[in-house]
Parts: sequence; C-alpha cells; structure tokens
Amino acid sequence: MKLQGLIFDIQRFSLHDGPGIRTTVFLKGCPMDCIWCHNPESKSFKPQISYNSSLCGNCMSCVKVCSTGAHKDVNGKHEFDFSTCQSHFECADECAFGALKIIGRYMEVESIIEEILKDKAYYENSGGGLTISGGEPMAQFDFTLELLKVSQSNGINTCIETCGVTSKRNFEKVIPFTDTFLFDYKATDSYSHQSFTGLDNKRILSNLDFLYKNGAKIIVRCPLVRGINDSEEHLRAISSLAEKYPELIGIEIMPYHNLGRNKSHSIGESPLLTNVDTTDEETKHKWIETLKLYSGNNSLIRLSQ
Amino acid sequence: MNGNILQTELKFTETYKRYRNAHPAIREAMCLKVQYPAFFTPVKPSDLFAGRIKNTLVGITPDEWGLTSFGYYCREEEICKILRTSEIGPILSQKIEEMLEFWKEENTSAKIRKAYTKEMKMWLPSDNWMGEPGIAFPLYRLTGGNIDFDKLLTLGIPGMIEEIESKRSEKLSEGKVDEIHFYDALLIALNVLIDTCRHYAEEIRVMIKGNNTEESQKRELSEMRDILEVITLSRPKTFREAVQLFWIYSLVADVRNYGRMDVYLGDFLAKDLESGVLTEIKAQMLIDNLWQLMADRHTVVHNRVIIGGKARVNEKNADHFALLAIEATRHIKEIEPQLSLRFYKGMDPTLMAKALDAIGEGRTFPMLYNDDVNIPSIQKAFDLSYSDASQYVPYGCGEYIVEHKSFGTPSGVINLLKALEVTLHNGVDPVSGKKMGLSQGSFTHFNTFEKLWQAYCCQVEHFVGIMAKQEELEYKIAGQEASYLFMSMLYDECLDRGKGIFSGGIKYLGGTLETYGNTSCADSLTAIKDLVYDKKTLTQEQLLKILDINFEGYEKERHLMLNAPKYGNDDECADGMLLNVHNHVANYTRDQVNKTGLHSYMIVIINNSANTLMGRYTAASADGRRYGESMNNGNSPSSGMDRKGITALLNSIVKPDTKIHAGAVQNMKFSRSMFKSNRKELEYLLETYFEKGGAQAMITVVDRNELENAMKEPEKYGHVFVRVGGFSARFVELSEDIQRDILRRTLY
Repeated sequence: MKLQGLIFDIQRFSLHDGPGIRTTVFLKGCPMDCIWCHNPESKSFKPQISYNSSLCGNCMSCVKVCSTGAHKDVNGKHEFDFSTCQSHFECADECAFGALKIIGRYMEVESIIEEILKDKAYYENSGGGLTISGGEPMAQFDFTLELLKVSQSNGINTCIETCGVTSKRNFEKVIPFTDTFLFDYKATDSYSHQSFTGLDNKRILSNLDFLYKNGAKIIVRCPLVRGINDSEEHLRAISSLAEKYPELIGIEIMPYHNLGRNKSHSIGESPLLTNVDTTDEETKHKWIETLKLYSGNNSLIRLSQ
Repeated sequence: MNGNILQTELKFTETYKRYRNAHPAIREAMCLKVQYPAFFTPVKPSDLFAGRIKNTLVGITPDEWGLTSFGYYCREEEICKILRTSEIGPILSQKIEEMLEFWKEENTSAKIRKAYTKEMKMWLPSDNWMGEPGIAFPLYRLTGGNIDFDKLLTLGIPGMIEEIESKRSEKLSEGKVDEIHFYDALLIALNVLIDTCRHYAEEIRVMIKGNNTEESQKRELSEMRDILEVITLSRPKTFREAVQLFWIYSLVADVRNYGRMDVYLGDFLAKDLESGVLTEIKAQMLIDNLWQLMADRHTVVHNRVIIGGKARVNEKNADHFALLAIEATRHIKEIEPQLSLRFYKGMDPTLMAKALDAIGEGRTFPMLYNDDVNIPSIQKAFDLSYSDASQYVPYGCGEYIVEHKSFGTPSGVINLLKALEVTLHNGVDPVSGKKMGLSQGSFTHFNTFEKLWQAYCCQVEHFVGIMAKQEELEYKIAGQEASYLFMSMLYDECLDRGKGIFSGGIKYLGGTLETYGNTSCADSLTAIKDLVYDKKTLTQEQLLKILDINFEGYEKERHLMLNAPKYGNDDECADGMLLNVHNHVANYTRDQVNKTGLHSYMIVIINNSANTLMGRYTAASADGRRYGESMNNGNSPSSGMDRKGITALLNSIVKPDTKIHAGAVQNMKFSRSMFKSNRKELEYLLETYFEKGGAQAMITVVDRNELENAMKEPEKYGHVFVRVGGFSARFVELSEDIQRDILRRTLY
C-alpha cells in the first residue's frame, strides 16, 4: 500500500504560513492539547464527523442510513447525538446540505502534489511554496518526509509548521528537504507549558536549539493569549530568543483569535477557552512595544497578520 | 402655455422631410445644422471646457438614446410624456402628433425591422430584451466607434477642411457624383462644428459681461472664449486647445469612447509643461475638469479612456499624461470616465503601481488590459496584422476594436441558459409557455448526454446564424440612411473612398454578439450530466419537474445540484464543460463571416447588468439557481460558486481561449485589507495571473460587510463603488437584485 497521510484541509493562497503565496496542507493529529487551539478538529488522529446544525435541511437522509441511531427525526427536526456516533460516516455521504462532514481524509503524496502544483507559477513569482501544517506534521513523520522530498524534487519551496515535539533524529532527516521551519514557542516555564499544552517544553527547546545549530532556517512563532501566556517572563524570554539565535529569520507574534470556538461544537466538544476574546488592537500594540523594549528594538520580532 | 416645447425637434423633422430625397449625406448634414448647436447647453461656472449636451428627443446619432433610438430616431415615449404633462396648445399639439406619426416608419430602427427576412421576424419577434423572456434579441445601435482624434488634433479644423477639399477635387475630376455629395456634406458638418464653437464663444462673452461672475472665473472664461475662437481658425497648439477641440468634437459626433487619449494628448501636455505654458498643477486641474464633464455625460457603459500599452509612438509623454489621468480618477469620484490601462512586461512600473493605488482605494478604475495576451489574441481572432492589432482599444463594456480602422457594434444578445432551457422543453419557453426555439424532442428523448449536447448546440447555432445576418442587415440599412459624417471623416479610408463608414467607407466592418449566462449554462450542463446521465441520482422527468416548480419542496435536490462541480474552482470537469460551451458558441459565431459580408463576427462575453435583467425571465436551472435569479456575470463563475480560493479562480478563468472572441470581462472582488496589508502578495498574484494568460481584470475593492450595511443604510454609503460587469456604479444606486448578485460574489 502506498504511503498515506491523514489530511483535514488544503488551503490555497495562504499568505501567513511562511513567505510569499503558499498552499498549506493541514495534517490531522497533534500530540499537544493547547487550550487556545483554533483548529480543534485537527487534534485527533482519526477521521471524525462534524455537524453544523445551521446548515441542516431536515431531509432525514442521514437518519435512513445510520445504523447506530445517532441521527434522529424528532417531529420533523433532525437531531444528532455525538456520543452514540460510531464514525461510520455514511451520513456525511448522504448529506446534500453540507451539514454533516467528514473531517480528515487519507490521501497519497501523489494526489497532494498534484493539487500543490496547480499554483506553482504563483509560488515562483512570490517566493512562496508548500507549507505542511497541522495538527502536527512531525506526528505523521514518514508521510511528511515523503511529501517534502517530492515537493523539493518538483522545485517547490517547503515549510513545516511544527510544535517541536518529535525526536531529533526525525528533525535531522527533514532538515535537507525543508526550506523554512515555522517553530512554535508557546510558553516559557515548563510548568505553564505543561498546563497550557499538555506537555512540558524541555524537548521542544532542545529541538529548537538542535535545528538552529544544524543550520535550519527558522521562524519562531509565538501564539499569545491575553491573560494566559502573555506574562512578563514569557515576553522577556521571547525577546531573549532574538539575542540567543540571531540567525533566525523572524519571531512572529500571533495574537489569539476566537474564530475556532464554534468549531469545537461542530465536533461535539466544548471549547476550552470560553471567556477570552479575539485580541484587540491595543493589546497587540502593547505586546509589540514591550517586546521592542525588552529586545532593544530587535527587528526580528514582528506581528503576524 | 409653452410655445417653445420641442421646437428643435420639429424643425429637425421639417428639415429631414425637405431633404428626404436628397443624397443621404446631404440630408444628414442639413439635419445636423438644426441639431447643433441647438442641443448644447450652457457652460457651468466651474467648467474649464465648453461642451455640455442635453437629452435630444428627435435627432441623428450613430449611438443609442434608448432601446431602439439610433440613426434617425424619435423617442416617442418621452415625447408622449411631455404631451401628457405639459400645457400645449392644440396647434402645437397636433404638429407634435404628426411628427410622431411621421417617424413611426421613418426612424432607422423601424426601417431595419421592416427589412427583416421572414426567418428573422419569426425568431426575433421582440426588441424588448430587458423586459421579456427570449433566447435572442436584436440591438439597434452603431456603438463603440473610436475615431482618429490624433488626426483631428494634428490637422485642426482648417486642416480637415483642406484635406476634404483636396479629396473633393480629385473625385470631381473623376466625375464621381456620389462622392462629391459626401465631401460637400462633410464640409457642411465641419461648419456645424465651427458654429458650435462660435455659439459657445458668444455665450461666454455674455457671461463675462454679467455681474455675477468672479474675477478669477472671468479669467478662465476669457481664456475659454479665446480658445473656442482660435480652434476654428487654426490647428490646436496648446494642451488646453487640444482638449477643447477633442471634447466638442466628441459631442457633435456623439462618439462616447475616446481611445488612446495618452497618445493624442501626451505631446501637447509635454510641450506645454516644458515651455511653462502649464504647470503640473494646472494640467491636473484641466484633466480633472474634463473628467467631470465626462462623468456628467452619463453614458454609464461608455466614456472609455485608454492609457498605456504597446505601440505608442510617444511613450514617455503618453506615460506622463497617463499618470495624471489616474490621479484624476482618484480625484473625481464618479462612475465615469471608465479609465482603462493597457500594460505589458517592460512598461514603466510606476503606471501599474499608481493604478493599483487607485483600485485599492475602491475606485474600480483603471481596468487592466494585458497587451502581452491581447495583441496576439486580437491579431488571430480578427485576422489582422500585428501592427493593426497593437492599436486595439476596449470600448463600452469591454469589446475590442482597432482604433479608427474597425467597427464591431454588438447588434444582438443571446441567452445561452435560455437556449438550454428551451431545448429541455422541446422548443417551448417554460416562463411564457410560448414556442421560442427549435423543437428537437423532449428531454426524455435524449437518452445520452451527447444527444442533449447536440440539441443544445443546434438551438444556439440556429439563433447565432440569424443574429449574424441581422447584424449585416442592420449595417446595410444604417449605411443607406446616413453617412455618420463626424465619425466617417475620422475613420481610416472613408475620406479616400469618399464614402460613409457604413456605406462602403470603413476598412474592417465587423460585428459582435453578446452572450449571457455562459457559466450558468455550462454549470447546468455539468449538473445534468453528473446527476442524470452519470450517477443517475435523478431521472429526466424528476429533474424537469423540480426545475419547473422552482425547487419548491425539493431543497435537498437543489443542494445536490449546487454541489455538482462548478466553474471557477480549477476543476477539470466543470471547467471542461465551460470550455465546451465557450468553444462551441465562439467558433460557430466566428464562422459566420463565411455566410455574411462581415470582416469579423464574434461573441463578446461582456456584461452590463444583463445577467440580472435576463435572469429575471429565465426559469430555475440545474446549476441550482432559482427562477429569476441573476445568471453569472461575463466570464466569471456564478456568484459565490468559486470556493477554492483566488488562485483556483484565476486558474479557471485563464482557460477559455482568448483567440476566438472579441472581448471578455473578468470581475474580481477583493477586500480593502488585501490591498492594504498584503499589497506585495497581491501584486505577485496579479502578475502571475497575467503571465498565465489573464487578459483582463476589473477589480472591485470593498470591505467585508460594507455592502450589506450599504443595503441597510444607503444614505451613508454613497462612496462605495462596485464593478457591475462592463460598467461601474455607486452600489447604493443599483437595483436590489443587482445588489444581491454583487453581494454574493466571493470576496477575496
């Protein structure tokens, strides 16, 4: 059987995941469990059903094909029970309204490359290319490595967006095929990292160091959530990265937005952060000013759009 | 009681009657003498150039003043309204009634319709394309003429007179009577132009004497008066003289598209700036003022000014004018002139940069035309030399012709979705219930998709063939009726041949057919193929029934149709069907030159608001569109059906062959933040699109929610401009269904 990856989205004309015009391939499954995650449907390593009741046309086609009783016709109104669902997915195939969808498809490298190549001319003019994001690309290591290799052999610039959780060996293997690493830096002290993401950051920091010392081009990306991980200590640590790793391509501040909140409901989960709003302009400005102050105006640090 | 009402119209009619049997050129010249300067209105105090024209109810024009008002026209409806609403004595009233009666059969459109063959009368029963269902309708107009303003400004009026007189004596020695009449008429027409200049000069003289005029205005007015007198006596020497002559000529000629303005005004501008006659600021002021005059002409779909591009002899000077032109478009926030930038790889990049600034501000102008694609395409499509093709200009909604060499008025519209709909109903229109097209058997008879496709093709071909002959006939009658003197004297070869433009004078007489609903038709065919023939999800009877009852109770099935592949997503299947539809109608239309005497006959995939207007009378379609909703716009996907991102959209729209049609418009809608925050990526995006074969782009820039809010509180959003199709508009001034169509278009 050919190598397959579990993909939950392919987004063309991505402008914020590396340089130029890019196509971002989102891999499903992540070892972390960040409380601010804006792609909650990317966490699980399995395909899953998503249900958006506002699109439902109450045609009951799903009720007819479901053998588990998760779909019910309640007086002409459709109801769906996530806990009963056994992920057979027949319902999603039947749903004409797009209310029920399967999140996560298994795809071969070849068919992904075909999709990526459609925009090659745009990458070439803009310095863009492919970004493999997630979930966590390194968690589907063999597939990611293969996709990088084939992309590179097709003359396509490559980026990986990673949370940094994998073995050094794996990173070592992808370095020759990765033009840029987008490396997440989420919290500074190990305890808070553990509590925000479910994992401590020792291995992550040492991987960052490893990549840097092996000549990888890296953009460090720092998701900031007001009142959660925007402590003085963390901002100081971000600033000091610029000094510690002067050859970084950039340090991007990524202010939290809550557009992913509703996505949790559509996969039958509750959002973890319910009381935090999308970052306001004033806060963004304050963060940048603070970082400038701490870093002595280091030009590596910038706000991501 | 008002005794002055319609006096000029009555006098015009009397003159026409007196010269009814004279040579048509002479008759026209005598009529023009009545028409001008009578139909000019006074300059406004802020004007820096003379020339404002009023709505004329009886007259002669190559262009249109209403659905069938062109050539010799009489706008009956408007006149009847005056009769109803004004206090008019019985004698005048009777005279007006007589005038209406006279023009009923004597107007040019009526003569064309009268000359229709039996076949045309049968299949083109109505001219009311905006208000009735139909597959094809004729249009009555000779629109899009782009005359040789460069020649006019180089020779001036005296030089033109000299040239005509010299041609006249040539033909006189050869004893060519017909041609002599033509030249005599041209000379009379030039005298009409001179009279018009003098009329304004005199009027301004009176204005200056008046007490209400400020000193600074008096200075401007005196200069204007002097210029009006000077241009009757010698060729223009300054920028301001050149603009004045250009403007007043375009009005008497009723030419509404201005061609390569940077070429014919660039040198005048450079010379005056160099010699100090003009400062940059004053030059900008003059251009701004001209822009306002154009805006006040309210042509809606015309007023094209072309700047930039290859094959400009004075590129540097022209570029300078072009930059001021873009700046004027940023200052004068109106829907006209329709500034259009031709560009090519290697052109001064400041032009494109400034153009994108203006577009990013939401001006919708300039529209962008890619010479690297268009020149070779036009060369092939029109069968012309490279050098002729390099002088192409877009006019109106986006049709191409070669400046002062060719003509290509769209004399018909065809609704491809309606052609499919009538084919599915065995020749009957489901909206009116009337027989409208060829009966080729019911839908159930087409047991393969191929058979349905063939029947659709036959239906379209049947109408295209008729439309081509109609165009030829329209030119013939129009040419018998008049010489269109002001246009003819500045169209190549007419002077040499001594003939009016449509009486054998023009070099390349071509025609065009506007196609509508191209994508809606292709997407419908894709859905039918997918759901009925391939997957067999629906039977033919089911599909027809669902469409006939406008999806009522079949929302699930409508969604199945909506989910079928759609053009605009870089999808092979859907884009392939669009290419089939495109290639078929474009090639078949282009082949009609073999059956007519036209130099070219091609489709144009332009759009005014016809996608909405004709959509109102088009039944529910298999692409999921409901009865009465807008069809797709131009070469664009159906609104909102492009879901794979902007690169996928652009990849789709570069697929249709550009070498087999005479113009296609590409509308795109971007957010303001895309232009502001991602300007560099946006530039790369457009650059790549154009490299990949993008011919054209019409770009609307608006904020998310801006249009929704504008529908709720129109009074606050007068500043929001959108590109409808072939024209721009203030969003709040559009009808609700057009607004909804624009709202539904994907915002990138």
